[in-house]
Amino acid sequence: MIGTKILLVDDEEIFADNMAKLLRLRNYLVTAVYNGETAIKTLEKEKFDVVILDLKMPGMNGIATLKEIKSLGLFTETLLLTGHGSIDAAVEAIRLGAYDFLNKPCDIDDLVEKIEGAGRKKDDAWKKDMEEKLKRVVESPSDAFKLFD
Amino acid sequence: MDQNIEKQEKTKYSHIFRRFIFLTLICSLVPLLLAGWAINIHYSRFARERMVKTLETRVDYHRKIIELFLKENRAKLDFIASTHSIEFLTKKDHLSQILKSVNRDAWTLTDIGIIDENGDHLAYVGPYDLIDKNYSSTFWFKEVMEKGSYTSDMFMGFRKEPHFVMAVIKNENEKRWILRATVNTDRFCSLVEDLRIGKTGEVYILNSKGIYQTRPGSGGKIMNQAPGFEGQIHDGLKFKTIKILDKDVKTRKIVWETWLKDPKWLLVVRVDEQELFVEVSHANRATLVSLHISALIILIVTILITRHMVSIIKKRDDKVQGMNNQLMQAGKLASIGELSAGVAHEINNPLAIILTEHQLLIETEKARPITDEILGEQFAGSLNQIGKQVHRCAYITKNLMKFARRTRSVIETVNVNLFVREVIDLMEREAKSDGITFNSILDAHLPTILTDPSQLQQVFLNFINNAIDAHEDKGLGLITITTCPAKDKGIIITVEDTGNGIKKDNIGKIFDPFFTTKAPGRGTGLGLSICYSIVKQLGGTIRVESEIGKGTLFCLTFPFKPPDDLMKQG
Repeated sequence: MIGTKILLVDDEEIFADNMAKLLRLRNYLVTAVYNGETAIKTLEKEKFDVVILDLKMPGMNGIATLKEIKSLGLFTETLLLTGHGSIDAAVEAIRLGAYDFLNKPCDIDDLVEKIEGAGRKKDDAWKKDMEEKLKRVVESPSDAFKLFD
Repeated sequence: MDQNIEKQEKTKYSHIFRRFIFLTLICSLVPLLLAGWAINIHYSRFARERMVKTLETRVDYHRKIIELFLKENRAKLDFIASTHSIEFLTKKDHLSQILKSVNRDAWTLTDIGIIDENGDHLAYVGPYDLIDKNYSSTFWFKEVMEKGSYTSDMFMGFRKEPHFVMAVIKNENEKRWILRATVNTDRFCSLVEDLRIGKTGEVYILNSKGIYQTRPGSGGKIMNQAPGFEGQIHDGLKFKTIKILDKDVKTRKIVWETWLKDPKWLLVVRVDEQELFVEVSHANRATLVSLHISALIILIVTILITRHMVSIIKKRDDKVQGMNNQLMQAGKLASIGELSAGVAHEINNPLAIILTEHQLLIETEKARPITDEILGEQFAGSLNQIGKQVHRCAYITKNLMKFARRTRSVIETVNVNLFVREVIDLMEREAKSDGITFNSILDAHLPTILTDPSQLQQVFLNFINNAIDAHEDKGLGLITITTCPAKDKGIIITVEDTGNGIKKDNIGKIFDPFFTTKAPGRGTGLGLSICYSIVKQLGGTIRVESEIGKGTLFCLTFPFKPPDDLMKQG
């Protein structure tokens, strides 16, 4: 989807930058950050459709960052990239609400496919939420300001 | 090298064997023999002493008998002299009557005579013609005149025969006369000789100068000088042991010597030590024989027990060795697993970067095509190769992870026959193009087992792939897969190929990670080690037999159900 906003989190700076370039070439809006803490700060300031998280990072690792993102309650889907190939960690991530995971090194096309899927899921969730809110506005217009704050 | 190790093992066990036997024998035989010998020696000494004591009493008794005999005869003479007058005695036939009555019970006195102060015979009864002999110059006459009573030593005298006399003097009306009698030498000698002990015993009498007074048993004549005579007068019994060389045979004799009171004669009692202690020696021999038989039995039992124990030790050692080998293999795999997972992860990141760079170059080139044809061609070729090699690396790291990873198993009931057929179907087409055919001999009554099908499939694919690869230079080949139940233990699956076989040196290494004989780039050397760890995880075993040029047989066993920890995981 053209214009999908992606936050790429990876401690391997070159990888993050390269991947950001490649995704931009495919018309995504990509911001690359190099650790979990910065990712959370960025997410607090700005909205993203999809977050691509490296599982193994110094400081906050992928799982911790994912938990933090989930606690923010944002409309964003998370994709995990792992170089470790640890199925256990991946299963844990899905259980925590991640959209999917990919093994490093991954093909750009595989990644794009997953991003698209994640984007659609995020949009669906957003749409569903909006419809619900609209329904409630119709039912009680006085709450409209609260809902769309 | 194997022979060397075998030799070392052998010497190790024979060393243990020898040590065991040595120690056991020292601990059992030495005390037994020491105690046995000590008891034996003590007992025989005790028995000998007892015997010697008993015999001493007997010898003393013998002395008394001889003394009594002499005393009795002297007393007879005394009695005759004191109760009869010279007149009576010199009358015809009176003396012969007296001799007759004295000798009534036994012929003790050979002759009897009456001699006056001048040494002339007044009367004589006896077998010799001595009536006109004068005794004034004889030694005994002088002695009896001096002492009043005398018993002589053996001497030849007028009759020229060994004999000894007893004489008593009597005063009658201030006239002195002598009653003299000759003791029957044969009677006296046999009296003494009859006292001998046992068959080899001898008893004889020596006078104070060491002259035989009776016939010695061996090596001497009456009236001869006894060899080795010491002549010391002592009280009581003297006990000694002597060695004699008799007809070149050395014999030990036990000798008792005791002095008679009157006359001063030495009673000598000799007996063969061997004969005397024959019972003791018998008993000794019996004890020693039983002692040595016991020792021999202990020796044999020790050898048997030790052999048995060493064989038990050897079995245990072999078992421990086997377990150690398995543990080593497992430990090796585990540590290599950890290492490879770490390495794989570290390599995956740079690989990911290279792949993105590769992608960027492709994208950039698309946007801004290289105008230089040669450069463009080279660029495209290189990019292609970079992509390929990165994927190759990724394939290796992925395999490494698979090897290291202990994924959650999904345990299901598996019909191995169906399973094998599926795998064969999957592989058959590929194999056919290599000229390889499959032959499956599947037991119709094969029981189903509980196992992880995905892992099992990986194992099978690997073995069959290997079997196909084993025919690399052959062109044609046959892969035989069999299944059969393994009694109560589970099932057996064999995969046999007609390929090149595995070198003997390599058999021990085939399950090691990264060990491969395939050309570089064609195998990671991880297949069999992954199979090994999977089979172990599923509770099975792998055995391999191979002959160069003829083929290889892999024999796999799987239990009815995997180990409990895996079941819980599943």
